[in-house]
Amino acid sequence: MSSIVFAQATGTWPYVAASWIFVFGGMGAYALVTVIRGRRLSQKVSPEKRRWS
Amino acid sequence: MLADAWLIALKDLKLELRSRVAINQVLPFALLVLVLFAFALDPDRGLLQKATPGLYWIAVLFSGLLAMQRSFAVESTDGVTDALRLSGLAPSGIYLGKTLSVAVQLVVLELLLGVGVAVLYGTPLAGWLLLLATIGVATAAIATAGTLFGAVASGLRVRETLLPLLLLPVLAPVLIGATRAFEAALNGTPSEGWPWVGLMSVFSVMYVVAGIFGFGPLMEES
Amino acid sequence: MITESAVTAKISENGPTSTGSRATLILGIVTVIALGVLVLFGLILSPADQKQGDAVRIMYVHVPSATLSYIGCLLAGVGSAVFLWRKSQWWDLVAYAGAEVAALFTAFTLVTGMFWGRPTWGVFWVWDARLTSSAMLMLLLLGYLAVRRLEADYSVRAKRAAIVGLLLVPNVFIVRQSVQWWRTLHQTATLQLGDTKLDGLMLFSLFTGFVATALAFVWMVIHRFRVAWLEEQVDTEGLDAALVERRAEGVAST
Repeated sequence: MSSIVFAQATGTWPYVAASWIFVFGGMGAYALVTVIRGRRLSQKVSPEKRRWS
Repeated sequence: MLADAWLIALKDLKLELRSRVAINQVLPFALLVLVLFAFALDPDRGLLQKATPGLYWIAVLFSGLLAMQRSFAVESTDGVTDALRLSGLAPSGIYLGKTLSVAVQLVVLELLLGVGVAVLYGTPLAGWLLLLATIGVATAAIATAGTLFGAVASGLRVRETLLPLLLLPVLAPVLIGATRAFEAALNGTPSEGWPWVGLMSVFSVMYVVAGIFGFGPLMEES
Repeated sequence: MITESAVTAKISENGPTSTGSRATLILGIVTVIALGVLVLFGLILSPADQKQGDAVRIMYVHVPSATLSYIGCLLAGVGSAVFLWRKSQWWDLVAYAGAEVAALFTAFTLVTGMFWGRPTWGVFWVWDARLTSSAMLMLLLLGYLAVRRLEADYSVRAKRAAIVGLLLVPNVFIVRQSVQWWRTLHQTATLQLGDTKLDGLMLFSLFTGFVATALAFVWMVIHRFRVAWLEEQVDTEGLDAALVERRAEGVAST
């Protein structure tokens, strides 16, 4: 009985980990790329056109 | 608006008749697709007959794409788009006219492909009323959506690749609906097919409205 | 004659050079905290489900992602509609940002759904109505984003994208409807999810999932919007600068 539970647990966790890593990694990567693009572009635009800063 | 539509439709159809591209290239391509399906699926095991509705509509979609791309390719040369804009024709009329001419070409294509599957695949045709109704609404759906997205992609360097990417996902409901309705008709259970005809009608009405209002902004730019 | 580097130096003296602002900084910090709470409850504190086992933990990120992908689509649709009506660039860029983030969350939905399906159903993919319509949603969004990235004038690109964006929401509806009928008419494989009863902690984890990912969604849309805004500014400023330069050349030669 306990071996079945163990097998189930080890069978499922890799999928859980993969899902969470994909979502968190995806959000992180997208945020990073967006911020870097933003910094690069703000260098070229005068501050009065960046209305939020 | 309707008079303008008629004018544009006649102009496009006349062009197609004279240039013979539809007859010399699009139709042979459609038949080629039918033959390729027979190569891909073993014709001796009855797979072709079973899959006829799906194969038929895939063939219509792919060869229809060629016809739609042509419908705007003829406008993109020699500044014809500007001439159309200056002509004072209502944009909604231009849209309806182009839709009509594409629809006429599609119907011819569909009838010939129908003969093709009946002869080449040996599929017995049944449920004529539903078959014809399906051809009617599916043609309207493909032509209305195809003309609108054809205009979105027209005049761009990437139009040949952009149009299928935009249009095929949008036409997925039409492919599903037309295929299921054909299956229902051929299996002798037409009552299962009529809801699909309804869905495709809603689709066509939606795209006619979108096209009538959306063609103005699309025409006034570039 | 001002060189380019001098201009850049002058600009960077005045204020921060990023898409961040005070508000988004606070929002970002709150988001990171919320995501931390989500990890704590979703992966550690909440129990495994009786039927699904630990696979239920995938739901805490899967369900909110699916919801947010639809909200992003709605944003793209509304933005496109208001742009066509009012010709306001602000709304056009809102539509752009919404659609791009929606595509990201649709990708999350599809991938986490597959990772959930493998241990639960035994396969990564089934032709279930929900799965199929999510995949179609992804394809529709990719089409919209392809129009956004056209190399054409802003006005051309924006108008064409707005037409496609306006049709996004009705298309999603009609695709969902057709796919549902398609699957229910065929009744080949009915896969039961297993009637999962969410208890207190599991429900709270799901709720945390909604809050945390929604905050992340808002943060991403704001920053993506600002990047799109800056891109348009650079385009117009570049044109202006080129015009000034050409005029100066003309004066110098005469």
